[in-house]
Amino acid sequence: MNARPPGLAPVIAILVVGYGAVPLLLGANQYIMSLIVAALVIGCVALSWALLGNLGGMVSFGHSAFFGVGAYVSAIVTLKAGLPVAAGMVLGGAGAVLASLAMLPVLRLRGPYFALAILAYAHIFRIVATEWTSVTGGSGGIGNIPLLPALPPNLSGIGMGGKTGAYLVILTIVLLFALAYRAIRASHYGLALRAMRDSEDATRVVGVNSTLLKGLMLMVSAFMAGVAGAFNAHYLNFLEPDYAFNGVWVTLPIVAAIFGGYRTITGPVIGALVVYLLDQIVFKALIPTGHQLVLGGLLVAMILFSPTGLLPLLPSLRKSASRPGRNDHA
Amino acid sequence: MTDLILQALYSGLLQGGSYALIALGLALVFGTMRVINLAHGELVLLAAYIAYTVESGLGLNPAWAIPIAVVVVSLTSAGVYGIVSRIRKDREINSLILTFGIGVIMTNLILLIWKADVRSTSSSWLQEAFVVGPLYSMRGEAVFFIVSLLLMAGLWWWLSRSWYGRALRAVSSNREAAKLMGIPPARTELVSFIVAGMLAGFAGVALYSYGVIQPAYGGALTVKAFIITVLAGVGSIPGVLLGAVLLGVAEALTVTLASSALQELAGMMLFLLVLFVMPNGLLGASRRRG
Repeated sequence: MNARPPGLAPVIAILVVGYGAVPLLLGANQYIMSLIVAALVIGCVALSWALLGNLGGMVSFGHSAFFGVGAYVSAIVTLKAGLPVAAGMVLGGAGAVLASLAMLPVLRLRGPYFALAILAYAHIFRIVATEWTSVTGGSGGIGNIPLLPALPPNLSGIGMGGKTGAYLVILTIVLLFALAYRAIRASHYGLALRAMRDSEDATRVVGVNSTLLKGLMLMVSAFMAGVAGAFNAHYLNFLEPDYAFNGVWVTLPIVAAIFGGYRTITGPVIGALVVYLLDQIVFKALIPTGHQLVLGGLLVAMILFSPTGLLPLLPSLRKSASRPGRNDHA
Repeated sequence: MTDLILQALYSGLLQGGSYALIALGLALVFGTMRVINLAHGELVLLAAYIAYTVESGLGLNPAWAIPIAVVVVSLTSAGVYGIVSRIRKDREINSLILTFGIGVIMTNLILLIWKADVRSTSSSWLQEAFVVGPLYSMRGEAVFFIVSLLLMAGLWWWLSRSWYGRALRAVSSNREAAKLMGIPPARTELVSFIVAGMLAGFAGVALYSYGVIQPAYGGALTVKAFIITVLAGVGSIPGVLLGAVLLGVAEALTVTLASSALQELAGMMLFLLVLFVMPNGLLGASRRRG
């Protein structure tokens, strides 16, 4: 059973808008571009969160752990070992996978126990980053992290500002991850994972190692969040524990994924763009401190009235975003 | 050195009193509804800020805030129940996300109303030294520890003797059977939220009376309460008290022997250790492995 192939039109539309229209039209506006880059970073974490929730059936309140570990690993290997930024980002993802290995025993736990155990891990990693001063610089943080490679000058000549290079990098990362997510979902692993969601016990009986599969999903999810964190570290070129492991990296992706529909692939990313831009442009202007109040309200309203997200309700997007219904026979 | 350790054990014990109240509320709600209320710590924090307002606004001892805090927080808790009970599908996952959202709302409301500053009591009566032999504490710590014990005894009596208390335990142990016995589960769930709110209200005032509070503290409180219920295993008041004291002692010992920055780590390590070594908790019997 394979996922339906997407129509060509939405794919072309995403490529044209993502690589053409946005950088050409908005590239000169530093402020808007920085918002979009930040939204895509959150979209990347939201995608990773949704993958774990949708395929693995696990709610995580600890994704800030992967984000922070990825950021720190990448910053340290590029700064201290002199590796190139791209290698650092991959290693950042790998570091987050290593961190997720420490969480594997938690997979035997169910429901709220998993959700809170992973939250405990996030706290532990933050404290370690604060206290292990010889490596992480402690609460003072790390400065002068190598920046992303700059845009070739011939491109920056055509009205694209300094943020555009970073934008293209994170956009490519998000699209690659979305493709990987799609491939996993369409594979026989995806089939087993869908079956597990309906009945984990029945799936184990027919010979699927459910803990192994969940562990793999946790590792994939950790990798994605870790790369997002690594990108962010090189983009901002500064890190401190309270920022890298901030609860914001949990709250915003959850709101984005739930808003866009965490059972879809495009939903979390589009959700992140909508939610983050609204938050920064509208909510923040209305309520300067405590604007996350509105996000909390949004989350509550979504769970009560439309727990599968807003995007699947839009019929035009439904075709490309939805997956085979959960009642399909395996 | 022995003195220091004894002192840490004593401080941990006293801290365990209010931790136990917070954890009991969380456990009651989890018992009846199988929902972990991730906004529980924020309910406690709300009470603490009410105590701050009573003290700074009216110039009274924060203890006078108890009636207001208990009423406001139990009403808020009933409101949380009103929202959570509307979930139709996938209650286990959705209730976590929903109460997480409520927690975000409450944290930010507290931030809006009371600002981000760290607050603590200025009452000299509460802060005066209270010395038992070689052990030292603030008077507030000792007083609230004793009242916590009394409240727990009262709760134990209520759960074992009163109609609603027994209904609550019945719904916790077997929901369907309880329904057949004529116990309305919805009303019992509401009662559990209200009682949890009352305990949280009291614990919040206690926390303010001998500690420092800030808007971001709610999440940590929820995690602590959850750690205690994991330590305790589900469904035993002495277990919760023991778990709470253990957590309090582990934190106090970490502060004494290592550094206050590692305080939170102590609880987390204890939590993971118990989760892996004794997944049914120290005294509990129910299964939670998948």
